Amino acid sequence: MSLLANGFTIVAVLAGLVFFVAGTAGLLRFPDTSSRLHALTKADHLGLGLIVLGLLPQVGGVGEAARLLAIWALVMLSSAAVGPMIARLTRGQEGAE
Amino acid sequence: MAVAVFRFALLLLLWVAIAGAAPADLPVGAAGSAIGAWASLRLIPPARITPRPAALAMLVLRFPWQALRAGVEVASIALDPRRRAAPATIAWTPRLPPGPARDAFLAYASLLPGTLPAGEMPGGAIAIHALDGSTDVAAAMTLEETRFTRAFGLDG
Repeated sequence: MSLLANGFTIVAVLAGLVFFVAGTAGLLRFPDTSSRLHALTKADHLGLGLIVLGLLPQVGGVGEAARLLAIWALVMLSSAAVGPMIARLTRGQEGAE
Repeated sequence: MAVAVFRFALLLLLWVAIAGAAPADLPVGAAGSAIGAWASLRLIPPARITPRPAALAMLVLRFPWQALRAGVEVASIALDPRRRAAPATIAWTPRLPPGPARDAFLAYASLLPGTLPAGEMPGGAIAIHALDGSTDVAAAMTLEETRFTRAFGLDG
């Protein structure tokens, strides 16, 4: 059972890292600020989500699991609030150039 | 008052989830939750929403799938050397009137695949930044808006 849980953790965390790498690649490759925001929010959310999911079998109790899920929720909440704001601000600037 | 107590309780629950329930720490959490509840009442006044459980459950259950689609889409464009991002900004006219409900939907839409709301345009439309300009972003936004308004009972 613990072998299965450990295997799940390794696979999910590695998959999460792939999406963090992809988000960083997007940050470097994408042509404009808003596209980079897509990379930083969407790919990294999925990466963080997979890492949180992968760590869940390793936690000691419900409290630690709740803490991990709360961190994921807070990251998504803050980027849902800030992402459109930055996109709005840069749209005015890049359009004016 | 009931709304304030409810929000205070939710924030305190979040505090306990993150910081733990040690008695010495609780006063700080309670004070923070009280300030948070007060700020939330100022910033997001209570609204009459009547969520529809089935539609809301569908929205919540679809979300991980949407997050997966969004992440895979961005990752494949970012990592595949043959693909390039072809971003476009399109004008989309929401049906929701300006206000907290529309803002909430736009924040939610920023987490969906391929779309990033980027502020209002002259004439009341919303600028939507799309990572792949060749897809029908406006139709997708309208579909998601319908799902969102149905889930929260905003369509009356």
